[in-house]
Amino acid sequence: MASTSCSVGGEVAGETGLALAKSSLPPPRPKSPPPYPDLYGKRREAARVQMLEREIGFLEGEIKFVEGLQPSSRCCKELSDFVVANSDPMIPAQRKSRRHCRFWKWLCFPCLSVASFCCCCRPECSCHLRKPKCCNSTCCSCVGSKCCNGSCCSNSCCCPKPSCPKCLSCPSCSCFLGCCCSCPDLCCCIPTCFRSCSRPSCLNKKSSCCSCNCKIKWSSCFKCPKLRLCCCFCNCKNTCSNPCCLAF
Amino acid sequence: MSVSELKERHAVATETVNSLRDKLRQRRLQLLDTDVAKYSAAQGRSPVKFGATDLVCCRTLLGHTGKVYSLDWTPERNRIVSASQDGRLIVWNALTSQKTHAIKLPCAWVMTCAFSPNGQTVACGGLDSVCSIFSLSSTADKDGTVPVSRTLSGHRGYVSCCQYVPNEDAHLITSSGDQTCVLWDVTTGLKTSVFGGEFQSGHTGDVLSVSISGSNPNWFISGSCDTTACLWDTRAASRAVRTFHGHEGDVNTVKFFPDGYRFGTGSDDGTCRLYDLRTGHQLQVYHQAHGDGENLPVTSIAFSASGRLLFAGYANNNTCYVWDTLLGEVVLDLGELQDSHKNRISCLGMSADGSALCTGSWDSNLKIWAFGGHRRVT
Repeated sequence: MASTSCSVGGEVAGETGLALAKSSLPPPRPKSPPPYPDLYGKRREAARVQMLEREIGFLEGEIKFVEGLQPSSRCCKELSDFVVANSDPMIPAQRKSRRHCRFWKWLCFPCLSVASFCCCCRPECSCHLRKPKCCNSTCCSCVGSKCCNGSCCSNSCCCPKPSCPKCLSCPSCSCFLGCCCSCPDLCCCIPTCFRSCSRPSCLNKKSSCCSCNCKIKWSSCFKCPKLRLCCCFCNCKNTCSNPCCLAF
Repeated sequence: MSVSELKERHAVATETVNSLRDKLRQRRLQLLDTDVAKYSAAQGRSPVKFGATDLVCCRTLLGHTGKVYSLDWTPERNRIVSASQDGRLIVWNALTSQKTHAIKLPCAWVMTCAFSPNGQTVACGGLDSVCSIFSLSSTADKDGTVPVSRTLSGHRGYVSCCQYVPNEDAHLITSSGDQTCVLWDVTTGLKTSVFGGEFQSGHTGDVLSVSISGSNPNWFISGSCDTTACLWDTRAASRAVRTFHGHEGDVNTVKFFPDGYRFGTGSDDGTCRLYDLRTGHQLQVYHQAHGDGENLPVTSIAFSASGRLLFAGYANNNTCYVWDTLLGEVVLDLGELQDSHKNRISCLGMSADGSALCTGSWDSNLKIWAFGGHRRVT
C-alpha cells in the first residue's frame, strides 16, 4: 500500500523510511479523515440557487405583466355586473308576490308545536327566531376599546396607535383597520406548550418561542395538520384517542 | 463552482428575489384604485336585507357520533357525503334526511371527502396520507365496511382536501401537508401531475384546500399555511400560474366565485378575501372584529349562486356569517338563528342549483338551510 503522509506518533513515515526510536513510542493519534467534497450538499445548494434564479426570471416577467394591467375598478365592475345579472335563490328579491322555494318548498310545513321549528314559506308560520344583535341606543360613548359606529357600538378595535412595548403575551388588538397597535417584530408566544397550547401569533419565525416544547414527544404516527401549532402526541402501539390536539 | 461561491450566489439571489417581490407588491398596490365595497356603494347598490325568518334550517342530518370535518354535494340528485371523526363516511339523501350509506373507514382520521361527478363513488383522505376511493354500489359487510376500490398513495403528508375534476370521474386533485397538490388518475391509481414540492416553484407550507374551476377545469386554486393562494394550470405543473398574497395567516379554505374568474379565501387571520384570477388583484377584504378583539380563524366558505352572498364558518362556537359580497357587510349570522349548530361550523357546501346550503359542525350534525321567506314587491 502506498504510503500517504500520515502521522504515526507525530512523525511522518515515508517510503524511504525513517529510523524510529525504539523506545517510548507515543500512542497513535489518527488524523481526521480528509475533507472529501460534500457532493450531495453542493448539488442541493446548486439546485436551490437554480430555483432562485428561475424565480427571479418569473418575478421579472410578472412585473412586466403587471405594468399592462387594468386597475381593480374594472374587475369590480365585472364582478358587480355578474352578480346583478344572475338570480339567486337564497336572496330575498323584489319580485311579484309568489312563493319561491324551488324544490325545497315541500319541506316547508306549518308549525306543529311551539317546540318544533318550521320553514316560513307560509304566512301563518311564526318562527321564533332571535333578532340579530344590535345596540338599541344611539351610542355616544364607547366603553373600553369599542367605538361608535352610527347607532351601534362597533366591535372595531380602536386602541391607540403607538408601537407596542415588548410583550410577554400576545396583544389582543388586530391591525386590519389600521387603528390598532401591532407587534410585528416581537415574539408574543407562550414559551412552553402543553397539550392544549394555543397557536402563537409570532411573526418572528426565528424566535425560539414559536415552537412548542412538548412535554410528550410526538412519535410520528402521523404528521399533524399545522404541526407547528400544537404538540401532537401519540403512542403508535396504542390507539390514539386524539392524535392531533388542535385541529381535531 | 465551490460551495462557498454557491452560497454567495444563493445570498445574492435571495436578496434579488426579495427586492423584486417588494417591487411587485408596490406596483400592485398602485393598481388598487378601489375595492368592491367602495365601488358598489358608489354605484348605489341596495343592501341585502334578511327578514327574521327568511333563511331557515330546513333539515338536521343526525347520525354521526363525532365531529363533522367535511361534506360534499352531488352535482345532481341532492345527495350529500360527509366525513366525521367517528371514522365514517355517511351518504345522505338531503331531501328525506335518510342515510343511504354509512362507510366505516380503514383509517378513522379522515379530513376530507368528495363525490364523483356521476355520484357513484366517493373519495376521502386524511392523516393516513392516502386518498381512498369507495364505490357506492359495493356491498358492505355486517360492520359497515365497504372495500376500498382504489387507494391513491404517494403523498408524504396528510391529505387535507380532495375534489374530483368537474365532469371527469377518472381524475381528482388532492392537497397535502407535504406542500404539494396532486392530480390523480383514479382508474390507474397513479399520479398524473404534482404541483409544487421541494424543487418546484409552489407552496412553502402545508396545503390545506383546493377548489377547481367549474368553467375551466384546467384551473384550480390552492390555499396554504404559507399564507398564500396559488392558481395552477393542470397542463403546466412546473410552477404556479400566479401567487396571491395578502393574508397574514394560514389560508384554510378557497372557493371559486360563480363566474369562474374570481375566487374567495378564508384564513386564520380572521378575514375572507376576494381575488381576481386574471389580474391577481385583491378586490375585497371581509373582516368583522369580534367582541374580545381576537381574530377568529375562518374554517370554510361558500358562495351563493349569484355570488352576492358569501357564507363563512368561523372557529368559535357556531358563528357563520353571511356576507354581502358587494357591500362588504355581514347581513346575517346563521349561528344566531333558531335551531343553529351548537359548536364550530367546520365545513360548508352549496347545492348545485344554489337553493340550499349544507353546514357541518363539530356538534356532529349537518344542517340544511334554505330561503323560506316571501319575495315581495316593495
